Amino acid sequence: MNRLTGRNLTIAYGNKIIIENLDIGIPDKKITSIIGPNGCGKSTLLKALCRLLPIKKGKIALDGTDINKSASKEIAKKIAILPQSPEVADGLTVGELVSYGRYPYQKGFGRLVPEDVEVIDWALQVTGITEFKHRIINDLSGGQKQRVWIAMALAQKTDIIFLDEPTTFLDIAHQLEILELIKELNQKQQTTIVMVLHDINQAIRFSDYMITMKDGEVITQGNIPEVLSSQLLAEVFQIDAELMQDKLTGKPMIANYQLVNRKYSKVEIK
Amino acid sequence: MIDSKLKRKQIIVCSVLLVLLFLAVTWSITSGEYKMDLSAYLKTLIGQGEFKDNLILMEFRMPRMLITLLAGMALSMSGAIIQSITKNPLAESGILGINAGGGFAITVFIVIGQVNPNTFIYVLPLISAAGGILTALLIFLFSYNKGKGISPANMVLIGVGLSAALSGGSITMMRKFNEDQAEFIAAWMAGNIWGDEWSFVLAFLPWILIIIPFLFFKSSSLNIINTNDQTAKSLGMNLDKERLILLIISVILSSVAVAVVGSIGFIGLMGPHIAKSFVGPRHQLFMPIALLTGAFLLVIADTIGQTVLSIGTIPAGIVVAIIGAPYFLYLMYKTNSI
Repeated sequence: MNRLTGRNLTIAYGNKIIIENLDIGIPDKKITSIIGPNGCGKSTLLKALCRLLPIKKGKIALDGTDINKSASKEIAKKIAILPQSPEVADGLTVGELVSYGRYPYQKGFGRLVPEDVEVIDWALQVTGITEFKHRIINDLSGGQKQRVWIAMALAQKTDIIFLDEPTTFLDIAHQLEILELIKELNQKQQTTIVMVLHDINQAIRFSDYMITMKDGEVITQGNIPEVLSSQLLAEVFQIDAELMQDKLTGKPMIANYQLVNRKYSKVEIK
Repeated sequence: MIDSKLKRKQIIVCSVLLVLLFLAVTWSITSGEYKMDLSAYLKTLIGQGEFKDNLILMEFRMPRMLITLLAGMALSMSGAIIQSITKNPLAESGILGINAGGGFAITVFIVIGQVNPNTFIYVLPLISAAGGILTALLIFLFSYNKGKGISPANMVLIGVGLSAALSGGSITMMRKFNEDQAEFIAAWMAGNIWGDEWSFVLAFLPWILIIIPFLFFKSSSLNIINTNDQTAKSLGMNLDKERLILLIISVILSSVAVAVVGSIGFIGLMGPHIAKSFVGPRHQLFMPIALLTGAFLLVIADTIGQTVLSIGTIPAGIVVAIIGAPYFLYLMYKTNSI
């Protein structure tokens, strides 16, 4: 079942069309990764699907209703978004930012009701940052900050969470921590996850469904074992990759790779 | 979710500021050509004063004092909001040329309008606000860089340029004026607090009573706008609309203030910054402090200007600029935006 679908999407930045006539469906309660080379339109698609970017043509529907015609606060109760390297005002604490996740539910002066406080505490606990509640966000490390943003998204109590390159700027251990957390959310809360990832092996390991894009077009979308192949990687990323079975997860993984077009890989020494 | 320690700190800062403000007001009201002693002042305040003191206090000094307090609050609050919605710590109605826009509109009004002395003071804030809003929209139009958004440095540069152009325009038009009108505009541009009657308080107060509670009502939205655009949008805020409303409201606030007290800058810069240095970027906590700080600064500046010279006075706007300009340079250095 797909609660979130896009039909005939044309998306542009100003007058420059990035994506044309694209159809897409996001499987419920699964982790979906969008991968593709730089400039392929994956971030553009992600932002459009969560109504951060207006679309030129087509329709994005959530439970049958057009998200660009619905009240934005109502959408915010169903879709949460973790933007790419988000900034925050200096001096703000973890608990405060996470409490902003309750904004879609608030009226008037924005006082927190007991239910809000409960949800905020839960979000802090699930992401393992309860002890940082009163710390200043900008004093935290990259991995901790990312957890704070995920906690804010959780405080929105949505069924769907979008993440735009959630592991960028993190070292490998923190990348894994964040991805494990996302996976746990998906398994325990049945949250539908849609994310853009750069690392193909991480995308394979942590997602169920994969959308590959190139030049603004979706090349394949489907369950990973069905769509992933050496030919696909050659077509989309221009790499010659050998796929093996990952002993740890039983899923495929890229064992080694080189450029399809070797002439760029050699440094000419004169 | 705000730490209770921080809330306590805010209450302490507010209380200290209230005491300081009361002291500043007392100093200001008791000094001047007719020196009222402290006991006479306090007696008069509770309605036990002599006729002469009562007359001086209630008819001359009190309305002017109230206008100064309200204007200080309005300018500080307006600066706070403009800084938050543009995420530019250097933005403020004086620096951005919004005050100059109001002044230009007032000058044009005097040139073409049939000024009716009975309604003048009630019309003036409207004229000033119209000029201010137009200027603000022009600044946004010019400093908007497609794809990049609005850069703080660009905004300030365009504001300074517009401010110079509009002041120049006002001065050019002054040649059409008779002596009284020219003197009025010149004093206005220097930031001379000229409103000193109860009617001015009456013209000013309703704006404050409507706009300031509205801005407090918006404090949770303002906190979210102050994070980043994508977060605000993903939390379901109609960001463009919210920003436009808040911009117009804050421009009205500063324009109404400068209509009554003349072109005074820098209060909107110093007030919010001092407030945030105590309690951080939380609007519900720093806005009350910014209100009090703005009022305090303007009262002090005005009193210094009124008393420091044995012959004549210095307009409050100039005293504020003497303190405010170095503060601005310091902030600019800290922001690293130019």
